[in-house]
Amino acid sequence: MKINGNYTLNVTPKNFWQMVMDPEVLEKVTPGIKELKEQSPDNYEAISEVKVGPVRGNFKGNLSIKDKVEEERCTLVVDQKSKMGNVVAEIVMTLAPTGDSQTEVKYTGEAKMSGTLASMGQRIMSGVVSTLSKQFFKSMEAEIAERQA
Amino acid sequence: MGNFIGKAVKRREDARFLKGAGKYTDDIKLPKMTQSAFVRSPYAHAKVLSVDISEAEKADGVVAIFTGSDGCGEYGVPCGWQVDFKNGETMREPKHPLLVKDKIKHVGEAVAFVIAETLEQARDAAELVEVEYEELPVVTDPQKAMDKDAPLVHGEWKDNAAFDWCIGNDRADVEAALEKAHHVTEMEYRNQRLAPNAMEPRSYIADYDVNADKYTLYTSTQNPHLIRLLMCAFVLGIPEHKVRIVSKDVGGGFGSKIYHYTEEALLTWASKQIGRPVKWTSDRSEAFLTDAHGRDHVVKSKMGFDKEGKIVAHLTDEYCAMGAYLSTFAPAVPTYLHGTLFQGVYTTPLIHLNVVGPFTHTVPVDAYRGAGRPEATYLLERIISKGAQEMGMDAAEIRMKNFIPPFDGVKEEGYQTQVALQYDSGNYQQALKKGLEKLGYENFRKEQEEARKNGKLLGVGLSTYIEGCGIAPSAVVGALGARAGLYEVGQVRVQPTGKVSVFTGAHSHGQGHETVFAQFVADKLGIDMADVEIEHGDTDQVAFGMGTYGSRSLAVGGSAIIKSIEKILDKGAKIAAHKLEAAEGDLEYASGKWTVKGTDKSVSFGDVALTAYVPHNYPEGLEPGLDFSSFYDPSNFTYPFGTHIAVVEVDKDTGAVDLQRFIAIDDVGNIMNPMIVDGQIHGGVAQGVGQALLEEVVYDESGQMITGSYMDYAMPRADDLPMIETDNTVTPCPHNPLGVKGAGEAGAIGSTPAVVNAVVDALAHLGVTDIQMPLKPQTVWKAMQN
Repeated sequence: MKINGNYTLNVTPKNFWQMVMDPEVLEKVTPGIKELKEQSPDNYEAISEVKVGPVRGNFKGNLSIKDKVEEERCTLVVDQKSKMGNVVAEIVMTLAPTGDSQTEVKYTGEAKMSGTLASMGQRIMSGVVSTLSKQFFKSMEAEIAERQA
Repeated sequence: MGNFIGKAVKRREDARFLKGAGKYTDDIKLPKMTQSAFVRSPYAHAKVLSVDISEAEKADGVVAIFTGSDGCGEYGVPCGWQVDFKNGETMREPKHPLLVKDKIKHVGEAVAFVIAETLEQARDAAELVEVEYEELPVVTDPQKAMDKDAPLVHGEWKDNAAFDWCIGNDRADVEAALEKAHHVTEMEYRNQRLAPNAMEPRSYIADYDVNADKYTLYTSTQNPHLIRLLMCAFVLGIPEHKVRIVSKDVGGGFGSKIYHYTEEALLTWASKQIGRPVKWTSDRSEAFLTDAHGRDHVVKSKMGFDKEGKIVAHLTDEYCAMGAYLSTFAPAVPTYLHGTLFQGVYTTPLIHLNVVGPFTHTVPVDAYRGAGRPEATYLLERIISKGAQEMGMDAAEIRMKNFIPPFDGVKEEGYQTQVALQYDSGNYQQALKKGLEKLGYENFRKEQEEARKNGKLLGVGLSTYIEGCGIAPSAVVGALGARAGLYEVGQVRVQPTGKVSVFTGAHSHGQGHETVFAQFVADKLGIDMADVEIEHGDTDQVAFGMGTYGSRSLAVGGSAIIKSIEKILDKGAKIAAHKLEAAEGDLEYASGKWTVKGTDKSVSFGDVALTAYVPHNYPEGLEPGLDFSSFYDPSNFTYPFGTHIAVVEVDKDTGAVDLQRFIAIDDVGNIMNPMIVDGQIHGGVAQGVGQALLEEVVYDESGQMITGSYMDYAMPRADDLPMIETDNTVTPCPHNPLGVKGAGEAGAIGSTPAVVNAVVDALAHLGVTDIQMPLKPQTVWKAMQN
């Protein structure tokens, strides 16, 4: 399944970068995250609970960040397992300064699903992913607003 | 004609089915019965690195958990048919384990089996089983599976072929004839994979009785004795007389409940381990992932015609998916049940078919309503229509030109095909004529012309099919690789009061045997239908049997019962002669009594029955009792045929297909119950139309099935179908006592190409000559745009 989209945030690429690289912020803004444990730099163990429409499940696995070019781009590698099936995804995120201290975040990648998620959920998963992405950026926006206040 | 044969007698089984009072396996609750759930692989191809059951074992209500390391059924489930390579190499037959220990070969394969007090507890505990996998590369397409660098499903062999087989005339001769042909029509397409979708999902209860040292397996199968034989002799190595298989009410099978599934053997084995009964019922998602699928052929075909439109040669190459393992009948389906029908109803002098059966990382493929014959019919009926279209001929005319002349199999000999079989009897012209008349073919063509002027896209599609049923003469199928005989057993037990219990090895899973069999038994014995009871589906009741598939119940199972009835009447005549103090030769039997010819002296069937069991005044030397069992092995297959005609309108803006009329003229030989024949045709047509327009199992490139629910897999619904217009021609089968040919599969065989031909016909003026099934609006719309 292809994943892509973009979002513009009221924050400079530099500040956004700092926030994304901060496990505490990530834990706070990523939807459904219950636990994010740093295993080594840029490598996390993640436990999450996803509840979007008929897709509900507890996921457990790894989250890592690679190919980092500071304030410009990085690749997010997700490998999550659940009883409804597993998700493996690689998402490239690029940041571009825009407008007045704003950042346009573009993300593009592909997710592979297995098990029930694939056989029953595939059709609705793109909707689920887009809902989750929106939630992520909304929470990020709130976090930014809080920090700027 | 008696009182019941040929009458539309209402189905006696419907009284319980319509009230919801049928007793299916899942309805059975045994004392101390446990429930179970499977841990199934989410990957199509993966190494199993570890299976950790420690957490699951601690869960509430867990009775036992088994994995592939527990030694259950170490030989795996066997394949029932051997199709060797054309070069003489033996068919490649991988072990099909009950639980996977090392390597997963399709999504949904079981790695662990959890038994608990309740179903919820079993499912909860199954979620706690931790399995570590290492994913491996996958191939799901049967043609790609034969690429040089394709991932291997089984490591034992150098490529994925289970067999590479051919049938018909010498390939070089066929190729040479195609070279010289006036016109050659070519087709390349996929006969898409289908999920069988019986209304009742598979369900099993195994019950080991430690005191009797006997096993009972309640199972939703189409062939209880076959399951017992395969499971006892090949999988579990337990003595057959220690096992009873019960399969009473079964809610549809369509082929998918023929096979011996791993779960049947595993439950039977596990019941002994835990000393309690254990039940498992598949849910719909599991059914999509684990029931054997149908079709999945990749086809490349050429048909050559002369100037007049006569077929001169036909050459086809196919890749037909076997799936990850060889299911019970899988190798036979795209070979002996498929290639042997390549003659169709035509006089084609040269035919060659080559079939490669590759393993793929998918659930096994096996027989599905029609099994090989719908695929053959689709090809023949599409390519002859395409040929007509390309040569500017009429679809009906080209068929008439190529039909085998009528033959009744008595005065005229059966028709010897180029592909091994000899047809029994046929009159293909008559069926087509009847269909065209019913449609008003000439008029329709005018209407279609007018409609086109008004921007309406109407089309008509013909399909003049033949199928091989009444499976089958044991010696013939044995020579073709079957590892079983395909005779049938019928026992007729006349009770002392003259009531009759019939035990048949055929199996009803919705067809209506309890009614139809009682109809002809009552007539042949001259008694009332109410005095006849049909028993099936229990190996402790029925002596033996091969079960129901290949439209064989009446042609083979019915014939076995007729043989026993003949024995009953022979012995009855001896008793009657004794009672009437007449010579046996002076008696005639009619309307339930033996009469001394030309007199009013008679004795009734009931009197004779009582005398047989109370033999006080009895013929000397004659055994008491009136109870006979017979094995009937047919001398040939039966060959039902017919004409199906579809009329469609295609929406010019959306490509949506509206099936407006469907005419089915089926010749199934003599008809015992026209209502049941119509019902069988209706159901079959619905499934055939489903394939043409809606259904398709799709695996993505990583081997995930992405059509695993009714939201994703489109089943035909009532509003997809018009009122089906059925009618018959009757060409009796010359070689079985009832003259019947079988009606179970005809609907699914004839209908699919009729619908596709109709859609292509509707779009012919746009230059469309072929469309890939299923004909979804999007697919049709795209074809219209090109």
